[in-house]
Amino acid sequence: MRKSYVSIAAMITAATLLAACAGGGASSKLKVGLVTDTGGVNDKSFNQSAWTGVQKAATEFGWDAKFIESKQPTDYEKNIDQFATEKYDVIVTVGFLMGDATAAKAIQYPNIKFSIIDNAFFPTKGAKVCDDSKKDCYVDGGLKNVTSLMFQEDEVGFLAGVVAAGISKTGTVCTVAGMEIPPVVKFVTGYEAGAKWMNASAKALHVYIPSFVDPAKGKEVGNSMISQSCDVVFGAGGNTGNGGLLAAKEKSLAAIGVDVDQYNTYPEVKDALVTSATKNVDVAVYEYLKTVNAKSDKGGILTANIKNAGIGLAPFHDWDSKVSDAVKAKVKEATDGLKAGTIKTGYQP
Amino acid sequence: MNQQTTSPARAIGQGLRLKGRWWVTALVGLMLIVVLWLLLNLIIGGQCDGPCVVGALAQTLRVATPIAFAALCGVMCERSGVVDIGIEGKMLMAAMVGYAVNLFAYQALKDSMGVVAAGNLSRWLAMFAGVLAAMVLAALHAVVSIEFKTNQIITGTVINILAVGLTGFLYRQFLAEHLPAGPGTFPIINIPILSNIPIIGPILFQQKPLTYIMLITVVVIQYVLFHTPWGLRTRAVGEHPRAADTVGVNVYKIRYINVIAGGLIAGLAGVWFTLEAVDVFNPMMTNGLGFIGLAAMIFGKWNPFGALLGALIFGLGNGVTSTISIFRPDIPSQLPQMLPYLLTVVILTGVVGRATAPAADGTPYEK
Repeated sequence: MRKSYVSIAAMITAATLLAACAGGGASSKLKVGLVTDTGGVNDKSFNQSAWTGVQKAATEFGWDAKFIESKQPTDYEKNIDQFATEKYDVIVTVGFLMGDATAAKAIQYPNIKFSIIDNAFFPTKGAKVCDDSKKDCYVDGGLKNVTSLMFQEDEVGFLAGVVAAGISKTGTVCTVAGMEIPPVVKFVTGYEAGAKWMNASAKALHVYIPSFVDPAKGKEVGNSMISQSCDVVFGAGGNTGNGGLLAAKEKSLAAIGVDVDQYNTYPEVKDALVTSATKNVDVAVYEYLKTVNAKSDKGGILTANIKNAGIGLAPFHDWDSKVSDAVKAKVKEATDGLKAGTIKTGYQP
Repeated sequence: MNQQTTSPARAIGQGLRLKGRWWVTALVGLMLIVVLWLLLNLIIGGQCDGPCVVGALAQTLRVATPIAFAALCGVMCERSGVVDIGIEGKMLMAAMVGYAVNLFAYQALKDSMGVVAAGNLSRWLAMFAGVLAAMVLAALHAVVSIEFKTNQIITGTVINILAVGLTGFLYRQFLAEHLPAGPGTFPIINIPILSNIPIIGPILFQQKPLTYIMLITVVVIQYVLFHTPWGLRTRAVGEHPRAADTVGVNVYKIRYINVIAGGLIAGLAGVWFTLEAVDVFNPMMTNGLGFIGLAAMIFGKWNPFGALLGALIFGLGNGVTSTISIFRPDIPSQLPQMLPYLLTVVILTGVVGRATAPAADGTPYEK
């Protein structure tokens, strides 16, 4: 009697965070683990966003959720192993750089469901379907247990570029970019294409910095580009990019954030922050976990784009009055064009 | 100077060793910079004009600041015979403590004394606190490696790991979320009159306070090491502690004070990140500059001026990297990124030649 009472109570309160914390020990509970990239779970950017998504799902479905932070790339496999040995059912890995580790471990633990953000694995890869044009082909039947959560960063980057060229007085816009990996390159390519679409004579500068945790260098690079008359700085590189935003703020110029609405996560620069090119990583992770809960997940690649609103520009906040209606109309036009496929961002994988 | 040698770099190196005068070093440095600039302009097609060059040089000095501090910490410790590879850890600790104190002191003070005054006071308080935190770690290093005679490399490594763990933990517990906005970084201080000199003014005299402090510290330590009794004792202890002990120098005391003073300087390097460069802290944000500082120290042959030159060359490499990246996006970004490190290797092997550490460096002294 008492036991059933407890289980009913647990079910009722499953929707609250409290239940997720207090109800530990039940063996039937699904366990979901998140392995962050080196940015860590409080990076004010996509690791944090992924964790938000995991927490939301765990709370709603009454799962156990935990995260492990990777301090350096050699931790990736170790951290996945740790979840695997603790018999976790779902492991979410954050970031393109974790691709190889995730693939290797997905093969090693075929019964665990993996989900990776920003790195596309094709699930049906067997010896037969494998052709040379596709990367990450595995002869032993492919990665059926991996779901890739992809984002079309180039599309939202494009919109950011439209805004940037629209508000730029000098006609020069720039990007302080992190490591030169596909998600970052997509942001940069889209941003520059968007700026040129808005203003054909716009000049677009960018510098890649081989780190996501170097705001000091990001700021210096931002300053260098500002001295080349750039007046809208796009920070596309985690904490490194944040340095670029700060450079713009100190020179009273405009800045555009990335991944999440940085007006909330990095309030120090809100005077300069026009908008942010957001990837709704939390939504994507949550939607994926929802399919896991419904047992309808089938691996493969899920892509978030403008069309399904998985990515988009954040609100203009304080800048709303300073961005002219003409620019806003152009953003609308670009959004429609991207949705319809009449506008191409020019990104080649 | 022997002109028949195989490579110009070697010839310059020999010239350095034969003459050993400071102005030769300075001249060679200047020549290198000019050559680099010409090369750079060749690569970027002459797009870097006057203001761009001045901007790059001002940036060089800014970037060199934490490296020079780190190198000076190394000089202080190693001249007295204690190897310190825990500079990175001390910097990280100081960066975090400085950030936290700046933020919370500002919150506590701003209502009672106004936004501007509170910002100023909290920044200096934060600098003091950050430096103090680094000195505590330095004191730990001193006690363990001087008193208990452990291997100094291991102690330094332990301090690095300790700092990474401790700052990561404290950051996640207290500094990651729901923070009020802080007062920001130090403002730029324009030195009156001097800052109006063309070219030199914007490079040297329109900087933030820690950059000025760095330049002063270099001169002070150079003077202390080579022109005061304390410096003589320090060097004696670093070269031959037994001989120094025989003539009545307190080896332990000298080493303690030098290591802790080194911690003070490493603390300044750390607070540069969160009080002068940016107003955020994130784990691992020192990015190995402490170790680059050690390289600058070796480059400078354990001399403060040499260390500053080493730091400037690395800073210049950084500036050149971003300039190339801006003007030539068609060059794969990885190539210019290698430049500062490549430059360090080339200069260390080709120009500096053999650098000899103080003889007793790294050896605990037993009475």
